Amino acid sequence: MHNSKAHIWFIAPAIILMIIILIFPLFLAGGISFTDYNLGNKTFEWVGLENYDKMFNRKTYVKMIWATATYVIVVVPISVVLGLCAAMLLNSLRFGADIYKTIFFLPVMATLLAMAIAWEFTLHPTLGIVNSFLANGCGGVREFILGFHWLPWVDSQESWYAIACANNMDFPYWLKQKNTAIWTVCFIGIWQAFGFNMVLYLAGLTSIPRELYQAAEMDGAKSTWEQFKLVTWPMLGPTTLFVVTITTIRTFQVFDTIEILTKGGPSKTTYVMMYAIFEKAIQQNLTSIGAAITVVFIGFILVLTFFQRYVIEKRVHY
Amino acid sequence: MEAKQYIGEGWKHAILIIGAIVVMLPFYMMVSMSLKSQQEIQSISGGLIGAQETQTFPVCVKTGYSEETCTMKPYQYNYWFAFEKAPIPRYLMNGVIVTLSIFIIQVLVALPCAYALAKLRFYGREFVFSMVLFCLLIPVHGIALPLYVMLAQAGLVDTYSALILPWTISVFGIFLMRQFFMTVPDELIDAARMDGMGEYAIVWKVMLPTAIPALLAFAIFSVVAHWNDYFWPRMVITGNRDLFTPPLGIREFRGGIDSDEFGPMMASIVTVTVPLIVAFIIAQKRFIEGITLTGMK
Repeated sequence: MHNSKAHIWFIAPAIILMIIILIFPLFLAGGISFTDYNLGNKTFEWVGLENYDKMFNRKTYVKMIWATATYVIVVVPISVVLGLCAAMLLNSLRFGADIYKTIFFLPVMATLLAMAIAWEFTLHPTLGIVNSFLANGCGGVREFILGFHWLPWVDSQESWYAIACANNMDFPYWLKQKNTAIWTVCFIGIWQAFGFNMVLYLAGLTSIPRELYQAAEMDGAKSTWEQFKLVTWPMLGPTTLFVVTITTIRTFQVFDTIEILTKGGPSKTTYVMMYAIFEKAIQQNLTSIGAAITVVFIGFILVLTFFQRYVIEKRVHY
Repeated sequence: MEAKQYIGEGWKHAILIIGAIVVMLPFYMMVSMSLKSQQEIQSISGGLIGAQETQTFPVCVKTGYSEETCTMKPYQYNYWFAFEKAPIPRYLMNGVIVTLSIFIIQVLVALPCAYALAKLRFYGREFVFSMVLFCLLIPVHGIALPLYVMLAQAGLVDTYSALILPWTISVFGIFLMRQFFMTVPDELIDAARMDGMGEYAIVWKVMLPTAIPALLAFAIFSVVAHWNDYFWPRMVITGNRDLFTPPLGIREFRGGIDSDEFGPMMASIVTVTVPLIVAFIIAQKRFIEGITLTGMK
């Protein structure tokens, strides 16, 4: 090896930037979270765990944890399962798979903020096509299907759809109503995320050797479902783990749709962590409480990633 | 069995088409609204493109344009008025400036480092690499608040620097390039050294050209992420319109949902969203490769 000192110049910029931009802020956030510092103050006091105490006891922050947890718990499994189903459907098609792939991947590409606004209009009670589609379907097939009248225990006079039809087309104001806002935001989250998962699963599916399916068939696994259980699902183990982790981390960071559509409301039902950090620390200049939320947030993410690495090392290698 | 298979295929297409319609709904709404007149939007009539009747637009007249100027077809009006109301080219240019600066600095920092980690032997190399691996775990959006505090203390809020600085280091880029350089044969580098090339020349004249495919994927990954990023610009740009990136522009257009005209608003949103979507449709394979890069370990 040469004795040149070139490597110092090669790695120094990266190391310095890593320390200043990525590592130091972790400690800074930790430090600030134990003080009452607000941006612009000349001095500050150490307050111990007061900020954390507030976080776990004040109603607002408890709601924040709830909203974030709901969002993650709904969006991650559904977008992963949808991604898998779409990938398997596309994989078994004879023609046209590429077109669907392009369409399903569009939401991943498009500027989320713009699409959030487009959804806002699509779901708008008077301007949107969703509610006009529903209103035009009163008494018809749409009511039967979407009102769940085909389920034996649903009374066709009492379903949500029938009631809305009876009350002068009183369909939900999806993003402004307490009981629908979080689910609507979740829906947009799923809409945006599943195409990404689909592409990862498509890559995972192509790497499964054909012979495994033939072997399974010889062992008596004839139906598609049995083959899925015996071959596809176990072989996709590493992909699934990866997809779940990356979706969870992205989902935790939801901000754009909340900021533009609900501002955390109505009554804090969509008050997710990233939005809370933004609102508290930037808009209300409560830096220290924002720092405490940041620490908890980073904690969640680190635990998740370590968990993923640990499981990958230990289990999902076949 | 042939018939049965066709029926199966038919069912699959039916399900996928319903899915595709749901996925395309907001795109349809966006394009349709950007073409139609306010009345057509409010009465949800006119299908995708509306009747396109030439008419005089009252909001335009109220703004101070002559009636003659304000008489045209709805789609012309929507797009023309969008550009009149907001400096859209400026926003797009800011987007280009910010994303390109970020990408170029990321490469300038990451490439030499990745080369050193992959091909040079020196004391502390393992330590530096484990530092990279640790930093991979840190989501930059997560530490946005302390970064904001640092930038505010440095007086950099509301500057291009604030938009660019936090993204200059891409540990993911270092990691990716290092993995790529590991596969480059040592002989290539030794031959370059024999020819009397210095280490700097090797990085930029030997390693860079071999890394073009990986670099291209990384470019798409980086540019798409930062073009679409809304959270960070929203944090550090408070009011200076000259620094608005496309998503901040979009937010401004939205304004009051019930007061404004929707056509021009949607026209501006379409204008800002379209460049990436067109690029995606043209170079689909590369885009999917680049964006799912984090998935290809």
